[in-house]
Amino acid sequence: MRPVDYKVNLFAQGAEREGIMKSKKIISLLCATAMMASVLAGCGGSSAPTESASSDTDSTAATETTTETATETATETTDAGSGDVMTLEFFDVAANYQGVQTGWFAKVVKDRFNIELNIIAPQVAGDAIYQTRASSGNLGDVLILESGQFKECVEAGLVKDISADIWNYSNLAAYKEQIDMLNNGLEGNDGKTYGMPTEMMNTSPTSYSQDVIYSSPLLRWDLYKELGCPDIADLDGLLDVLEDMMKAHPTNEAGDPCYPMSLWPDWDGGDGMLGIANVVQLTTWYGEKIKGSVILKPDGTFIPLTDKEGSYYKMLKFLYEANKRGLVDPDSATQDWNAACAKMSAGQVYLMWYSWQVGFWNSVDRLKAGNAFIFVPVADQSYYTDADSYYGSGRVFAIGSQVDDAKYKKILEFLDWYASPEGLMFQHDGIEGFNYEKGDDGRLHAINTNALMDNLPVPEEWGGAGFNDGNNAINQWLVAANSTNPETGEAYNKDYWSTYKEETMTDMKKEWAEKFGAAEPVEYMKANNKLIISPNVSVSLPTDSADISVIRNQCNEAVCDYSWRMIYASDDAAFDAMWDEMTAFLDGVGFQDLVKFDTEKHTIELEAKKAVAK
Amino acid sequence: MKEFFSNKRKVRGFKEFLMILPFILLVLVFSYYPLYGWVYAFFDYKPPFPLSWDKFVGLKWFRSMVENEVKLKQLLMVLRNTFAMSGISLFFSWFPMIFAIFLNEIKCKPFQKVVQTVTTLPNFISWVLVYSIAYSVFSSTGVVNSIGMKLGLWDTPQMFLQSADHIWFKMWLWLTWKNAGWAAIMYLAAIAGIDESLKEAAKVDGASRMQIIWHITIPSILPTYFVLVMLNLANFLSNGMEQYFVFQNAFNKDAIQVLDLYVYNLAMGSGGYSLSTAISILKSVVSLVLLCCTNKISKLVRGEGFI
Repeated sequence: MRPVDYKVNLFAQGAEREGIMKSKKIISLLCATAMMASVLAGCGGSSAPTESASSDTDSTAATETTTETATETATETTDAGSGDVMTLEFFDVAANYQGVQTGWFAKVVKDRFNIELNIIAPQVAGDAIYQTRASSGNLGDVLILESGQFKECVEAGLVKDISADIWNYSNLAAYKEQIDMLNNGLEGNDGKTYGMPTEMMNTSPTSYSQDVIYSSPLLRWDLYKELGCPDIADLDGLLDVLEDMMKAHPTNEAGDPCYPMSLWPDWDGGDGMLGIANVVQLTTWYGEKIKGSVILKPDGTFIPLTDKEGSYYKMLKFLYEANKRGLVDPDSATQDWNAACAKMSAGQVYLMWYSWQVGFWNSVDRLKAGNAFIFVPVADQSYYTDADSYYGSGRVFAIGSQVDDAKYKKILEFLDWYASPEGLMFQHDGIEGFNYEKGDDGRLHAINTNALMDNLPVPEEWGGAGFNDGNNAINQWLVAANSTNPETGEAYNKDYWSTYKEETMTDMKKEWAEKFGAAEPVEYMKANNKLIISPNVSVSLPTDSADISVIRNQCNEAVCDYSWRMIYASDDAAFDAMWDEMTAFLDGVGFQDLVKFDTEKHTIELEAKKAVAK
Repeated sequence: MKEFFSNKRKVRGFKEFLMILPFILLVLVFSYYPLYGWVYAFFDYKPPFPLSWDKFVGLKWFRSMVENEVKLKQLLMVLRNTFAMSGISLFFSWFPMIFAIFLNEIKCKPFQKVVQTVTTLPNFISWVLVYSIAYSVFSSTGVVNSIGMKLGLWDTPQMFLQSADHIWFKMWLWLTWKNAGWAAIMYLAAIAGIDESLKEAAKVDGASRMQIIWHITIPSILPTYFVLVMLNLANFLSNGMEQYFVFQNAFNKDAIQVLDLYVYNLAMGSGGYSLSTAISILKSVVSLVLLCCTNKISKLVRGEGFI
């Protein structure tokens, strides 16, 4: 106790003392002032880092903690700092990148609108950023939300009413039917417009106009041909083929070990579907579709995810059998998506099941060389696919309720361009002269098709840096790539250009067409009655209550954890024991309530689909 | 007013109050204001809707933690992991002290400094980076597996990171690798404070090096050790989540999920904020009880408390 007393005396009576005591007093006062200053700085801390947030790509942490007032300060700072550049904050559930847009796409929007895009990505920062920003009353300037979030945010007053102005913008007004459909679906909405669906199309809600579907078994053609193109009867047959491939080629050319299947856990429980993302996707091979905690069967009935007759069990067992044969990458449960992609690019996997995965391997050269991935049918399968996203793909573009008039106008101008042919060409095709060029016949020709895959350097006049680095980080479109471009009469997606189809009509494609009697995978599926197209609808579904969201979260975690362990189970008995343990646990945390809720919720959607199909 | 300023005692008191004010504010803002957040445990809170729109549910979330066998079992499992890992740390808490003593005995000064720097550095590496080191060393294509397979010790890659075997002990090893050097600093300072004359006297009396350590060094730094142990006891339930968060996966979660991580997994997954707040409240209450208990024990054993 003594030293403390001594110091207090020293401070208090310092004025009456001389020399050394005086200087000590000054020091102590300085300390106190510094302390006070640091306290104040702590309170106002959020405004300091945001100044750099507007100009610095790496200041993601600062952006996260930005409060409403701080955001405004940040924008003002930028305005004063570098001419009239306006920073638009995108709260973007689709983005895989957080920070300010850089590279060629940044240059494209800056040249046209003098704006900068600052992307806030819950996929990077974690879902909690939605909750924290929402509770602060300002999510961002431009919002790209899941439909449930959109509904909540409209109710909570976080979304601006754009009814008065949106129809003045011709490219947006062209999709009035789709936009109205979305907004009229909002409960208690009396004709007001709040948002626009993503990936709208100008075809029809029941057609399917792509050549491939989102998920189907894709094999390396050269390896498959090497085995003599055997017919595959069922999943066991598929495993046999993969096993033979692995025996013939245990490593890639660089000598790294190959495993036919390499999985990744990052996406588990995503897109509102319980369970391991990879397994969830595979269930569509048997015409079933997971909706939350239930499985929609082809006959239009719902069964719980935990039903042993359902496809989740079936596909999990398939992966377990694959692992027993040594066909699954042992790192699957601990690697992340980037690690898995690196293996795809390096040719270390022999089975792909997402249509986008081939983008990491297939190129025009490989299609010519005959070693690209392509759909190979399994006889007992029939495939589920969602129809053209005529009414949108489920997410929503909206404008934040806190934007000022100048910003509001700028955003609408930007979105109008974003839905215009010129904007869509940039989004879906890239840069003219770098990604495509106009031929003498007026048709478009794709060039540098590996620009995205290999991150090719972009010419200086377009802002330099790699193509992938500068690619549109919003990662979500108002109009889908398969819509028709009025300027060319063809789809925006270069894979559907007549020139590209001619170029890729390689020997491999011809061999494939000859064997399966169709020009494209979807044509084969349709001809053989193996495609179940689920109509596209726009309905507003009930959102989770606090109870249901806790149950959903706990169930999802348990399903994912048990599923991974089951894939690596030592034998059948262990597999089934874990399945039973899982169902018992799920029932304990309220799984039955969740099933009841999800069944009711998705019946609404199903009825709407039935109505459209009629 | 005039009376107040003429009263020297009162002015002095006021000045002293001003001096302490920043610290009072600091404590109020950062330690007491957050307690307001406890209110979320009594509502069905669901962002983005403000709290005033939500339903008051009383003790529902507290009851739901223990409402059936499965949930109770999970809570007990989480508590078991928390106690086990804190227990192991506590059990081995003498390790940094011994490390510091031996470090101090190294006669070659440059070597001693090198060892100290190398062991202190990991403290400044974040857990995320520690995990990436672990991944490159122990994954199926990592250093250990490559060497092991080349030497023919095993044929198929060993999944070190996916196994739950000895996970508590492994976690303690990682923690020690990261923290031992840092924790030793406190003891090194304590050792430096020991009166040299004690050691010299012992040497004159013919004491060996080990005898000096045993009879002089250790008894002199034991008080430091006890204070640190007691401070750790109060934190028994909060062994942090970063380490376990980065090391968790589907295979070891049953053994690695500690209380802090459990709260995080519940809340951040899909907004189970009310339930997580309820669990945190219980945690705070238990920590408070633990602190009071250790203080009491300390008073009984050492004759003085630390609060």
